[in-house]
Order: sequence, then C-alpha cells, then structure tokens
Amino acid sequence: MRKILLLHLVLLLCLYQQAMAQGRTITGTVTEQATAKGLPGVSVLIKGTTSGTSTDSDGQFRLSLPVAQANENLTLIFSLIGMASQEVVVGGRNLLQISLAPDSRQLSEVVVTGYTTQIRREVTGSVATVVGEEVSLTPNGSFEQALQGRAPGMLVQANSGQPGATASVLIRGRGSVLGGTQPLFILDGVEISATDFSTLNPADFETYTVLKDAISTSQYGSRGANGVVVITSKKGVAGATRLQYNVQYGFSTLPENRLRVMNTEEKLAYEMANGNPYRWSADDIARLSNINTNWEKVLFRTGVTKNHSLTASGGNDKTTYILSGSVFDQEGTVRNTGLQRYTGRANVESTAGNFTFGLNSTFGYSEFTNTYEATTSINVPLNAIRWTNPYETPFDEEGNYTQTRAGQPNALELINENTALRQQLKGVGNIYLEYQVPALPGLSFRTNWGGDYTSNESNVLLDPSTAPGRGVPGGRGQLTRGYNRFFRYTGTTSASYLHQFGTDHSLRVSLFNEIIKGAGRSFGFTGYGLGGPFENEAGITPGTATNDFIPAVNGDGTSHALLSYFAMAHYGFKNRYYISLTGRRDGSSRFGLNNKWANFGSVGVSWVVSDEAFMENLSSLFNELKVKTSYGSSGNQAGIGDFQSMELYGRSVYNGVSGLQQLQLPNPDLQWERRTTFNAGIELATWQGRVRASIEYYNSRTTNLFLNRQLSRTTGFSDLISNIGALQNQGVEYALDADLIRTKDFSWSANLNFTYNQNKIKRLVGEGDNDIVNGVYINREGESLNSFYVVRYAGVNPDNGNAQYLNLNNEVTETYSPTDRVLVGSAEVPFFGGFGTTLRYKGFEVNTLFSFVQGNKIYNEDRTNVENPWFVGDNLAAVLLNEWREPGQVTNIPRPTQAMRTGTTRFLEAGDFLRWRNLMVSYTLPQHLTQVVRLRQVTVFAQGQNLATFTKFQGFDPEMATPELTGARSRVPGQLAGAQYPALRTITFGLSVGL
Amino acid sequence: MKLYKLIIGLSMGCAVSLTACKDIIEIEPEYQRAGSSKGFSTLNEHEFALTGAYALFRASGYYGNGTHNTGAWAALPDMMADDLVQTVEDFGNWNTQANWTYAADEADIELSWVAAYSVIAQANLTLRNIEQFEATNPKRVNRIKGQALAIRAMVHFDLLRFWGESYERTATALGVPYKTTVDVEDLPERLSVKETYDHIFDDLEEAELLLADVDNVMNTATNRAYIDQTATHALLARVHLYAKDYEAAENFASRVIAVIPLANQAGFSGIWQDIYPANAEVIWKVTHSAGEGNVGLGIHIGSANRNLFRPATHLEATFNKPNDIRFVSYFGSRESSSNAPVYPGGSGAPGNRRIVTKYLGRGTTLDNLTDWKVLRTGEMYLIRAEARAKQGGAKLVAALADLNALRAARIRNYVPVVIGDEQALLEAIALERRKELFAEGHRWFDLKRSMRAISRPDVEVASASVTLTPAAREWAWPIPQGEIDVNPNIVQTTGYR
Repeated sequence: MRKILLLHLVLLLCLYQQAMAQGRTITGTVTEQATAKGLPGVSVLIKGTTSGTSTDSDGQFRLSLPVAQANENLTLIFSLIGMASQEVVVGGRNLLQISLAPDSRQLSEVVVTGYTTQIRREVTGSVATVVGEEVSLTPNGSFEQALQGRAPGMLVQANSGQPGATASVLIRGRGSVLGGTQPLFILDGVEISATDFSTLNPADFETYTVLKDAISTSQYGSRGANGVVVITSKKGVAGATRLQYNVQYGFSTLPENRLRVMNTEEKLAYEMANGNPYRWSADDIARLSNINTNWEKVLFRTGVTKNHSLTASGGNDKTTYILSGSVFDQEGTVRNTGLQRYTGRANVESTAGNFTFGLNSTFGYSEFTNTYEATTSINVPLNAIRWTNPYETPFDEEGNYTQTRAGQPNALELINENTALRQQLKGVGNIYLEYQVPALPGLSFRTNWGGDYTSNESNVLLDPSTAPGRGVPGGRGQLTRGYNRFFRYTGTTSASYLHQFGTDHSLRVSLFNEIIKGAGRSFGFTGYGLGGPFENEAGITPGTATNDFIPAVNGDGTSHALLSYFAMAHYGFKNRYYISLTGRRDGSSRFGLNNKWANFGSVGVSWVVSDEAFMENLSSLFNELKVKTSYGSSGNQAGIGDFQSMELYGRSVYNGVSGLQQLQLPNPDLQWERRTTFNAGIELATWQGRVRASIEYYNSRTTNLFLNRQLSRTTGFSDLISNIGALQNQGVEYALDADLIRTKDFSWSANLNFTYNQNKIKRLVGEGDNDIVNGVYINREGESLNSFYVVRYAGVNPDNGNAQYLNLNNEVTETYSPTDRVLVGSAEVPFFGGFGTTLRYKGFEVNTLFSFVQGNKIYNEDRTNVENPWFVGDNLAAVLLNEWREPGQVTNIPRPTQAMRTGTTRFLEAGDFLRWRNLMVSYTLPQHLTQVVRLRQVTVFAQGQNLATFTKFQGFDPEMATPELTGARSRVPGQLAGAQYPALRTITFGLSVGL
Repeated sequence: MKLYKLIIGLSMGCAVSLTACKDIIEIEPEYQRAGSSKGFSTLNEHEFALTGAYALFRASGYYGNGTHNTGAWAALPDMMADDLVQTVEDFGNWNTQANWTYAADEADIELSWVAAYSVIAQANLTLRNIEQFEATNPKRVNRIKGQALAIRAMVHFDLLRFWGESYERTATALGVPYKTTVDVEDLPERLSVKETYDHIFDDLEEAELLLADVDNVMNTATNRAYIDQTATHALLARVHLYAKDYEAAENFASRVIAVIPLANQAGFSGIWQDIYPANAEVIWKVTHSAGEGNVGLGIHIGSANRNLFRPATHLEATFNKPNDIRFVSYFGSRESSSNAPVYPGGSGAPGNRRIVTKYLGRGTTLDNLTDWKVLRTGEMYLIRAEARAKQGGAKLVAALADLNALRAARIRNYVPVVIGDEQALLEAIALERRKELFAEGHRWFDLKRSMRAISRPDVEVASASVTLTPAAREWAWPIPQGEIDVNPNIVQTTGYR
C-alpha cells in the first residue's frame, strides 16, 4: 500500500506546479424571492463537480475559479433545502444576482448520487432522498431507525428497543439467502460498517440518498447488490461564525404488552387443576395468594433521554468549516440498560487556485449497557419476567434476592448484579484533493482517502451470587473482557472530463480506481473465581490444577480487500434526453483462485417528456413529466467468510495441548453473487408543481446465489457454500407529495409512499424435490424466501380435548404428522410504507409520520413456551386458563396431558402493523422577538416516538429482535424467539437556538 | 506541453500502481492455516491434527451438550432407557430420543451422525500420507497413527451401537459406512454389521500393534487423556463382548486389569470429582478444561439446580445404601431452591428430590465441569465376568470371582456370595453392570444387545413413553434425512423407509 500512496503523492506534487495559473472570481448575492432578503447557507456548486462555496449570513458569496473552470460553459447550481435549485450559465458575468423560490419542482432537486451530484432531471436511475433535517432531532441511538417509512423501497425493521441497537435494512427485498442483505452505507465516500451506527451523530448529516437500481449503484458495483445508502455530512457556510445549539430532554416508556401471563390467583388455580406440582398445602395457598408480583413492573422503568448538540460553522470564500459536538444519553426501559454517546466533528474545505482540499472527520465514544434478548435461555431477565411465577417476590423478608421455588432466576437480581458494558470508540474521516487541469478546461482529478475505525471494549460480569455466575467453571462468577478493533480504508482516485458541445450536448466521462481494505483484530480473556473484595480484574482468582479457575484467553483476526477499476459516462442531449453507462471490473480477496475477478455494467436512459414541444398544450396539467429506465448488474460478496474459498484449519485444544482442526472445505470456484436489475419509472408534477408523484417498477434477479451444496454427512461436514440458485424480487414503488395549502402564513402538505415487493425463489440446488427445510421454514422453488412450512392447527376436539390438525386432504385429524405440513405465508414483508403530514402556521409547525407493514407472518416461539402446559411449574400465558377440562367444552386450547406440538399454525401470527412513528410540534419565535436578545433563531419543540402501534401480534412489538446483545444483523427473519426488548416509546421536549 | 507531461505522468503512475494493486487482494489468513489438497507436509501437523480429533469428542452431539441436545454417547443412552427418569423440570429438548418418537428428520440424530463422522474425518486427515515419515521417525509415526486408528475404530463402533440393526458378529443386517479416506465427494454405502466389525477389528488390532512401540510415554497415572495400548485393549474387550467373542473379551479385559486395578474405597468417589491424583481406575477419559463445555448438563444443571432427569426409584432400591460407596457417589438429595446444598446419598436432607451427583463438578463446585470417563476398570471386571460366565463350565467360578471382587471393592464389609447357576450369575452380573455403570452411557446398548425390550416401572411425566418392544424400529436409529437426500448409495434403516 505504501507504494501506491507514495505514487499518488508524487503525482499530486507534480500537478501542483500547474496550479499557479490565474483564474477569475465571481461574486454575487442570493435572495429569497418572496422577501428579497439575503439567503444564508445556499450551496453554490460548479456543475459536474463537487466543488463550490456557499453564501454567508447576508446571502453573499465569492467564488474564486481556477483557470480550468473559467470557461464560457461554466454553470453554477444554487441550491438550498426547501428552495428550488437554479442552474445559471455564468457566461462572461462576474457579478450575479440570484433569487430562489420555494421548491415546487422536484426535477430541479440536487441529488447526491455517490461520487457526483446531479440535478434530478438528469438522473436515469432510481434514487430516493431523505433530508437530514427531517430526522436529525429524532431521539434514536442509531440513525437508520429514523429512516423507517421515509423512503420508498427501503424497509427498516428495528431489531430491538435497546438504546443504540441497529435495525435491519432491506432495499427492494431480500436478495440473498446466505450472503449479506444489508445495503452498503457510505459516509462522505467512505464505507462505514453497517453494524454500528450508534457512535455517529445523526445531527451531523445533511442528506441520506438511497440508491436502488443497477445504474445508480453501479459505481459501488462490487458491493451494491443490496442497494446503497449514501450519507453526506454537513458543509460549512461562509460568513461570520454561526452557532446552533439543540437540547432535548424526555422520557421512554414501555409499549403495550399483548401477551398476558397469569396473575397469582390464576396461576395457583391452574396449578391446582394440573396436579399441584409443588404440592402446596391450603396454608401455602393462603400465604401465596397475598402476593401478586407484576414482574414487568419489577424489571422495567421509565427511562430518561438527554440530548445536547452544538454546531459552529463559518469561513470565507476560500475556506469553510463546520464543527460540532454532541452528548446523547438514553436510558433504556429495562433497568440498568442504556447508551451514552459523545461525538465531535470537524469538516473543512479549502480552495487554492486549481486545488480544492477538504477534510471531513468525526470521532465518537459510546458506552452501551445491554441485556440479552432473543434467546430462550432461562438465565435472561427478559425471559424471567414471563416465566417467573407471580407469587414470587423480588426480595425475601430479610431483604435478600428471592431464590424462586421453580428455579427461575430472579430478573431483578440478574439485571442489578450482572453487567454487560461495551465501550466503543469510533472515527470516520476522509481527506480529498481535487485538481482542475488549467490546460484542458473540464478535466479534473480527484483523490479521496478515508477510513472507518471502530474499537470495542467489552466487560461482562457474572456475579457469583447469581445463577449464571454459579454455572461457570469453578462456580464462583466470571469476568469476560474483550477488545476488538476494525479499520477499513477506502481510496478512490478518479479523472473526470466534462464538456459542453454547443448548447445541445453535454458529456461527462470519468475513470476510477478504488481500493478497499479492511482488517480486524480481537483479543480477550475470561477469568473466574470472583466474590472477593473486587468485581473487576482484581477479583479474579488465579487458577490452580484443582479449582477450575484457569482463565481462558483468546485472540483472532481477519482481513479482506477489494480492488476495482471502472468507468462512468453520462451524456445529455437538448437538456431532456440523458443516457448513463457504467462498466467495471472488480477483484475480491474472498473468492476462489478461479473466480477472483468479475465484470459488472449497467445502462440507464431518461427523457424529460414535459419539455417536448408537443407537450406544451398539456403543460398546465403536467408541469413536469419524466420517464426513465435502466438495466444492469452489481455484485455481492458480503455475508461469507473472508477466506470462504479456502480449505482452513483452525486452532484446537485438547488436554492443554494445541492442535489443528479442519474448519472449512475448499471451494476454489466460489464467486460473486450477481444481482441484475431492470428498473422503469415515471416522475411527474401537476397542479403548479404542488402535487408530485413517482412510480417505479423493478425486477431484480440474483444469480450465482450463495447456497449450501449438501454433502454426505460422512465427510464430517453437512454442506459447502457454492454459487447455485437464483432468486427474484420484483415490485412497485410509489411516492406522492402534495402541498395542499400554500399561503404566506399557512401551509399544509402531505406525503405517502409504499412499496409492494414479491420475492420468489427461482432455482435451488439439485433436481426434483430440492426444498430446504429448516425448522418451521422452507425455501422452495417458485415460493417466497423464508416461507413457513407447518401443519395447520384445527382447534380442539370437544369430546376428548385432543389437538386437531388439517391433513393434506383438508380433513380434520388428531394425528400430528410432519407430512401434513403446508406453506402458510412468508416472513418476508411484501407491502410496506409510510405516510405523514406537515402543518405550518407562522412559527408553528406540526409534523407527523406513520409507518406500516403488511402481509408477512411471524412465528411466535415465545408463545410455544408460555402456552406449553409442560411448564406448569413456571408462569404461563393467561389463555391457558381456557384449556380443555371436560367433554363438550369448546375451546382452542387442548388438554394439558397431551404433548404440545410447536410446528403448527397455532403459533403463526400476522406481522401486520401500523405505527405512529413520530409526532413533532414546534414553535419558532418571530424574528423581531429573537433579534431583541441578539439571537438568530429560537425554536421550542416537543416530539413523540412510537406513540401507538396498531397490531394484533401477541407480544410487545411486531418488529423482531436479534439473538445477540445488540448489533448483529444475522437474525432469523420473522421469528420471535424468546425474550424481546421492545421498541421505546419516547417523548421529548427540546429547544433549538441559533446565534 | 504541460498537459502532455501530465498525461505521461498519469499513465505511468497508473501502470506502476496497477501491478502493486493486484497484490492487495492476495490475502492469506493469519489466524487459520490454509490447507492443501496434498495434505500435511510435516509430522508436527499430523500430530496437531490428532489433537484436533481428540478435541472433537467434546463436540455437542458426541460427549458434549448443546442448547437443544445432550451428549449422544454420554448420558443419552441412560435417558433413553429405564434407570433415568424424565422429570417435570425437564425442558423437553431431547424428548424425541428419551421417549423414542424420532423419525428420519430428527435434528439431534443428524447432529450426532455428523459429530461422529467429523471425528473420523479428522482421524483420516491425521492418517493421510503419514507413511512418508515412517522411515525417518518410526516410533513417533507409530504413536500418532496408532491413536488415529484406534479413534477411527472406536467412533465407527459407537456409530454401530446406535445405527447397527444387529450386534451379531456375522450379521448381514445393516451396519454403518466405514470411512478410511479423505474425499468430500464420497457417497459411501452402508456396510453389513459383519463388514463394519471387520474394519473395526482391523483398525484396533493395527493400533494395538503400533502403540506397543512408541517414542514416549503417552499418559501419566493421574491423567489418562490419550488412547494408549492399554486403552486399546479396553476397547477391544468392549467390542469383543458386543461381538460375543467371549474368549477375546476376557483376555483383553485381563490385560487391562493387570495394568490398572480397581480404585480403593477411599479413592472411589474422587473419580467423579476428578480429584487428583486419586483419579483411579480411569483407563481413558476425555478431558474438559474451563470453557470447553460441560458434561452431564442434560441430567442435572448444578448451578441453576434444574433436575431434568432423576435416578429411578427401583434402581436406588437395589443398593446396599449404608455400605455401598457407589450410593453416596452417584446419588444425592437437593431442595429445589436455586442455591440449595447437595446432600450426597441423601441422609439428613429435607424433602425427597433425588438427583444424580456424578457430574456436578470438580471438588465441591456445581458447574458440571468434569472429565468424561470413557473407559474404566469397573467396566473391565464386568466385561470379564460376563465373558467368563457366557463361556460357562469351569469359567463360571472365575466369573463369580470377578463379580465378588468388584463388589468387595465397592461395598464395605462385603461378604462374597456364591451363585452356581449360570443364568442366575449372568443376571447378577447384568444388575451389577446397571448399578456400576449408571449414567455412563451404557444402559440403552446393554438392553439392545440383551433382551431388546424396555418397560419403565418409574415414570413421572404424563406423556412419557413406557414400553418398547423387541420388534420396535427404534432400536436402530434412522439415517438422517439430510444424508438420505444427498447420498443415493445409502439405505435407510429398516422401519423408517
């Protein structure tokens, strides 16, 4: 690597000699059309580049142009959020007067499409944008949660309500079975790990751009198969330093629980009716009846959220900067859980002659205190609250933690005495250097190098007084300390040429080289024998041959790299016909010797129909009408091991001696998964641009799907990851925005977006019956991924209380047989979206958003435990009180003496929900008031998150969780397995002050 | 002119950086070792691979416990029989096996099939091309190769114990595939029981020869973690007993007994707590250190005090409780509060919740961390007694002597008995076997090789199965559906087709 960096440096040094030639300076003022007041913070971009400046507090700007750009074709783009962008051909002028009107035409919006920015009319692909301002104040620990319901085609499902937990994000359906399905996240040109966003401050982000089809993602072709989310951080605004301070304070509470467990009276009655397993005497019953513990109330609390952020920005026409700092402190609704985050950011951009130099950097530190979820283990507080009998108390008469009769752990003891702390340090930054070649106007070079660094230090303590602390070697508690760090750098070097031929032709051609390399290391230890004076490393008892306290140590590491060469061309004719082409070649370290390299390409065209002469008569109806289509391919190499194609031996230890153990079989033919997408869409605006709509159809097919080729188990392995199989996702996306009322003082707008996605398996391994059945799931050709494959439950026979099922002939039978399993829906979500509205009256604003999901199924494994009469010794769901007891009784719960079958539709539920995601009420003080106290702007606001969820799902939350503390995205789709940490219902109050 | 220079510079820069770049995606793992289709190139690697084979015995599905399965060759054979009783506290995770309701799609059965064949695969990797070092380092090769062959034979025998349709030495009924090569595309067929035995004996006999001449001492008296020549003799004794070659079983058992005597009464309880150096009469054990899994978790979880399986009342009733040292070593009482103490034997305990105390942990800890004892001398006495009694005639006296010797070692103030009748003696030996080897993974196989019938006199859970007839298909496990789907050469066990 050193070699390459050096080369670039030499290259840039020799380029610097060219920088001395003189350019010209353009100055001007940007005003708001309605008021003629200067508009601050307007971005002034040189078209086709990412360089430019922005207006100062009086709306004035000054742009020094290198000779290379000072040509007659020079076009500047003026844009500001909420205002219609303008393209201005500068010509010979050096002083410009620009006025911007409120945005009514979507085609003039500036879109960040990855390495470049484009005006929406030029875009040939499928791109959705979420403005950072819309979500920057939502009190989510991890920013992607706030994007739920805001972009068509993007399904965001919270895995967990633990503060800082990451959500699962799917763009246009699940495109892989074994490979990764998360989109690629790019922050300022640098790939950031999709597993931890909670140490980034969402208030620093200017825009989120969701790239969905092949031509849009082709610039990230080797990783773009699952879509790309491009995030840009805020840029400084020239002028006197402006300060912005936001503060929020609020509360989180538990959502409604729809799975009720028994109270003491019910539970004791149930035990009596089912054999009195603890042989309670009448005296016992009388004593226990006086107790009725609500274990939910014992474990949960009202959490407090605090959020402060301070931003300063300023600069002059040559150099702009933005600095920010934030403190975010969110308590979870489970005691002793929460997230504390501290972040800082500095973005600087400077122009000198033909050079533009920039730096974006952020660093953050977070502390996560977590609890286990999505596991059916008994030593988990979130399970214990369901399974502990209501006649048990958290404390006994002496004030000690109660040890329960049933052997269930005491949830309060676990959460108070055991800790799981993770401290994360994160830095993301990039530097870039751009050079405009003076000798050939339109030619520019740019190199951008950035890195994403994350380190985690974990501290998990199992106190010797708790059941899990007794279950460790030596039986006297355990302290596990771990450290891991991961660093990935991305280096992109490009040459671009931009040229305008006459008035009708515009052309941009770019060549790129990109290098991505990531490496991680980890180590840790587990020590035993606590219980002395210390609850940290000092408390670990050294091991001897007989005390079982010998500590375990570990370490690991991995690395991977990608190398890409690609070319992009974009040609526009008459400002209304556009064509984009991309071709690329990618190499990945992960693949087999035979298939390291692959080619990807795509093409897209768009046509602004409303600009045609023949549309003139219809221009009052169609203010804007654009059609577009694209086709192309991109790759996926995520989700498999870094050395997946190799035969691997790993460390193995027996009797204190180290050895080797075969871990993985070789597959030198392993290659990229390839997703080929066709996209077609229409964008239109009507009613003077006040109603804007877009509709898109897509059909994407994943081939060379990573699947497990089955092996004879006598090899010692079950399968080998190979490229076999194909998968299809096709669907329709729809988005509608309307400014229903728009007057000087009052405005009302509404928006709606929804997506219908159909997922279908096209080909699996082998011929004939090649279903892949895994528990209650099946993957079958012609059906959706992750379909449920269970026996249909047909209630209870009133005569004998036996469970009944439907067999394949739709006849009722009392015999459970796996051969009667049928497909009954899928875990994949077919229909989802969001809608919202905004009302403004003078300084008042009310803004709300709903999101919904429909058509998926959830297998509620949680119920298979609390509705299983086998566990009569532990607490059970209240519905079991209806179980069959006598002939003739009509009920849906079978007799308790029959073994319960779990693989039936009895435990399958609809995943549909409608969620009131966000409500924001704010009031901005009039300027004449704020000016009295020398403030630029003062806004007070109140907002609510997850205020209500409408669902029939029997649990806390129909959005599913991961089998990890937090963070992992490898969850089983559509299954509630055990403990769930529900999404927070948060209400906050805040103040925003500008100086 | 300047532009011209620039383009030259740029293209040269790219050209040089391109070749440098290519290396970027050539990455070798640092924390794993990349393998080669040719196998290992040093004898050290063969020895490393052998260590890997031993470690795989701890896998969940072999002797270890997983979240939803318990060691198939550890306590499961007792749970599937009549001396361990499923309680209402059980999670029901291995219900299908404990209550004989398994079908070909049973995941736990597939897990055990894969666990066994992965030990075999690791043994075969150890053996592949090891001959290349025979000339330069013969004794070391003997040691490595002998162990790998013994492991391979023993694991195939364990497969035969569950999946074999018969234990008869010459039976043409279905046995199991015998794997001796490394080939991921191999689709082997099931051998007959006879052919499976042939391979097992070939490997064990070769191992026995090789292990006679090795480069260093493999085990110490206090830690017998490796299969040495004595352990191979013990394996041969066990396999010969199943194959009904009683003379050979007797001879091999005698050779072991001569080397490793029974524990004395003072040291006996220490066997189950791995108390050093008293770990007496253990011939081979799979050692477990902290973090390497637990044994016996499927019976009683010591830390959580969850009693999943309890000892059957009828078995406890057969013990001479005050004098039999096995009684206080194997059984205890414990109240059901999570940190309740354990009362070994049960005297003085409040309540009557009976637990198995064999696998609670080392010393006094209740973490279920102990070594798994695969072979011990007590079994050798029982093998020899049974083998001698089966031979009858003059050997009945010797068989009775073995029985009395074992009892004298276990029971204080034992007065030797006299049993003249062969059938009565065999029954006494079988009962002693039940008591001595309780919860050590023998009962299901002993029933399968003798009467092939179960009738559980003591059940606690309403839905528990009670009887299993000799004709039941469940005496042999089904080949896992995953194997059937992919391997056209394999034949499903009778009754599951």
